Amino acid sequence: MNFRQFAIKNVRGNWHQYIAYFLSSVFSVMIFFIYAAFIFHPDVMNGHIYAAKGVRTGMMFCEYIIVIFSFFFILYSMSAFLKSRKKEFGLLSLFGMTKGQMRRMVLYESIATSLLAIGAGIALGALFLKLFLMALSEILALDHPIRFFIPGKALLLTAAGFFVLFLIITLFTLFQVGRSQIIDLLKASKKPKSPPLASMWLVLLSVLCLGAGYYMAYTMTLSNAILYMLPVVGLVVVGTFFLFTQASIIVFRFLQRRKGIYYKQTNLMTIAQLVFKMKDNARILFTVSVMSAVILTASGTFYVFFLASKEQQMDLLPQSISFYEKGLNTHAVLDPDKVRTILKENDVELAYEVKLVGAVAELPVVGRSTDTTTALVVSENDYNDYGQKLHRGRPILAVEPGHAVFVIPYSEVKQPMTEIGKPLPVQVEGGTKELSLTVNSQVSGGAIAYPRSDATELLVVDDAQYQQILQAVPDDKKMVVYGFEMKNWAAQGDTAAKIEALVPEDMKDAFDNRVAMYLATKQSMGLTLFIGLFISVLFFIASGSMIYFKLFTELDEDRDQFRSLNRIGMTLGEIRRTVTMQIAIIFFVPCAVGIVHTMFAMKALGNLLSTSAMQYSLVVVGIYIIMQSLYFFAARRSYLSRIIKSFTS
Amino acid sequence: MSVLKAQGLTKVYGSKGKMLYRALNDIHLDIQKGEFVGVMGPSGSGKTTLLNILATIDKPTSGKVEIGGVDPTVLNDKKLALFRRRELGFIFQDFNLLDTLSIQENIILPLVLDNTNIKEMEKRLQQSAELLGISGILDKRTYEVSGGQKQRAAIARAMIHQPAILLADELTGNLDSKAAKDVMDSLRDLNEQMGATIMMVTHDPFAASYCKRIVFIKDGAFFSEIRRGTNRQAFFQQILDSLSVLGGNFDELSTVRN
Repeated sequence: MNFRQFAIKNVRGNWHQYIAYFLSSVFSVMIFFIYAAFIFHPDVMNGHIYAAKGVRTGMMFCEYIIVIFSFFFILYSMSAFLKSRKKEFGLLSLFGMTKGQMRRMVLYESIATSLLAIGAGIALGALFLKLFLMALSEILALDHPIRFFIPGKALLLTAAGFFVLFLIITLFTLFQVGRSQIIDLLKASKKPKSPPLASMWLVLLSVLCLGAGYYMAYTMTLSNAILYMLPVVGLVVVGTFFLFTQASIIVFRFLQRRKGIYYKQTNLMTIAQLVFKMKDNARILFTVSVMSAVILTASGTFYVFFLASKEQQMDLLPQSISFYEKGLNTHAVLDPDKVRTILKENDVELAYEVKLVGAVAELPVVGRSTDTTTALVVSENDYNDYGQKLHRGRPILAVEPGHAVFVIPYSEVKQPMTEIGKPLPVQVEGGTKELSLTVNSQVSGGAIAYPRSDATELLVVDDAQYQQILQAVPDDKKMVVYGFEMKNWAAQGDTAAKIEALVPEDMKDAFDNRVAMYLATKQSMGLTLFIGLFISVLFFIASGSMIYFKLFTELDEDRDQFRSLNRIGMTLGEIRRTVTMQIAIIFFVPCAVGIVHTMFAMKALGNLLSTSAMQYSLVVVGIYIIMQSLYFFAARRSYLSRIIKSFTS
Repeated sequence: MSVLKAQGLTKVYGSKGKMLYRALNDIHLDIQKGEFVGVMGPSGSGKTTLLNILATIDKPTSGKVEIGGVDPTVLNDKKLALFRRRELGFIFQDFNLLDTLSIQENIILPLVLDNTNIKEMEKRLQQSAELLGISGILDKRTYEVSGGQKQRAAIARAMIHQPAILLADELTGNLDSKAAKDVMDSLRDLNEQMGATIMMVTHDPFAASYCKRIVFIKDGAFFSEIRRGTNRQAFFQQILDSLSVLGGNFDELSTVRN
């Protein structure tokens, strides 16, 4: 056995500790390589694929994130490994291994692991590249999928880049080796851990920071967002740090004083061990919590933006095909009969149809650059009829003669745009005399049909009065808003496109096709999610691997403890329960804290977008919990098997 | 009344085709209630194997064990653990106290695992702590107390659930002579005042001199047995004589104390 073989044997012997770190490294190499392969793909480079241009920029941005993240992750992991092997180093130097030799050993070890990680990462990357390109072509709706090709540049950049990265970090960590005294190294793990101390003041600070941060996020609005954003992040991070380092200890202390809980079977072991590990674990748990919050908030934000834009489209374009015509019998934009014919030809069923006839009127407004605005006078009956068909919570209006309700399509605008409760002069276009109407109230976000041009705002009046007003207006001055809502509209892109093709070029402004708009948003969001997904997964795997590593560093110590406990009569079931509880806490507490942070971030986002972002983000949170659970079960399984195996040997 | 009964215990190591090694050969042992029995023998004589079998963490190749009327070899793993927890008390050379718990928590651990009510726990804790002279250190941590105190805490843990028998393995091995004397005095008090049944494996003649009866084994088999009279000093001399007859490798023998 020569020196190099000895170093490599070390890696093999410690593989249980290395594995999670190794897999995370492999994964970052793989993602980096796949992105690089796309970025340097000849068809993408010379611009043959038009849609790929934006994607390429996004991926380059992601590459930077991967490199920066990998740097810190590898740096952390490597120094944690060296710390966990203090005793081994002490023993080696006791046998007379020099500092130089020890550093060389560590260097060999990390070169071996990094070469392996780079090799495996690139190999896996090449394996999945075809799948990735296919998925991307699908999302971009390309006619010909991007062909499979491994650019030499991508290969070189990944291999050389990561090798240099690993090497720099190794040289960095080598300074740690051989600095301590032998006696300290040998005693490192034997040193009794003193019980952690907590200060009530810091706990209070933690609670105050979190409370203030949460309150600010909860009450964030468009006007104070810029001012609040950074303080909220700062407060929450500080609060989380003290939550784990201080408040956790106070909580456990409290549990320890409750003898009814503490002295109940395995609780004694579980709580006592957690208290002691808390000191070492607090930082990891803090880091993982913040990382979870970042992953969840980022993925949640993308997802919410996607859903919010869909909701917004549904509100602003109540029907999937909408247009308006000036004149009761004019069909300059589109003939409704032709629409029906096309729908029938394509076997698309209609959910309902809208034909909203109204008169254009001018009335004074407040708080705008102009003194007056035009609105469409519609009947109470029409509004209530069509409004209820939307199933979007439109109010049922009841208006007396001489009064009116002002309806605007934007839900963000809350302040009244006309004077409320005062008779207003209203001039109907083509009408004979000026009317006086009192606006009772304003409905924000209350569009029932294509809110465009003169029909952007509606003036809802009593049925009898509506008849009266309309009778005075000649037919060619009347305005008609048409709407066709198809069943299962999101899948009717082709039919909608055929209808849109009938609209003359100069009339496009009076027509909108919500299906096409929705599909475009869906594509760009899908793309962002697809690319961002890998980064999220990378963060997720890395944060899990930190916990995993921590768990296995303590394995030897725990194993001795559990072995003597088994001797004095703790059953395997009880040991399993204790271990499961402990692992569950270190896996799920940061996860839970991250989720709470995310919920408040989503509340703030919801305030800004005026949607219920919190509910939408539950999907992302659910996926995260499932993945974290899988990680937890894997870690628990391998940990328990190692503990229990030691009993029989 | 017989608390522990071992008949024809034999333990053979090694599997088919390999060299067989006979660690124990036809050992008979009968311990009555309230006895204080020592097992002595040179290194490799099978003391630890015997103790492990009696402690139910190892199984004999042949022979029969009965503790408090129960044959532990027929119990499954879970029942066996519960059996150890309720019927046996263990004292180890390296104490095996948990650093994460205070002395008090270490002592009551067996009761906590059995979900005893808290009043009862505290009552028993006070009793044993007083008897063993460790009342003053109950709230301390394991690394804040001396080796002798740790071992007395371990004794308290071994007896707090009132087991049928206490099994001790070289319990003075990690202690200096003063601490060893304190620990053995405590163990004697336990035996004499509380009537605890104790079996102790040791190669320290001083610790062994506290026993009422000593069984010597050699090469896995019974060798001889001596019983104590009233004078411990004389018994100590008797032990040394027996050991020299026994021969074997006793270089691990600790220096003569007292």
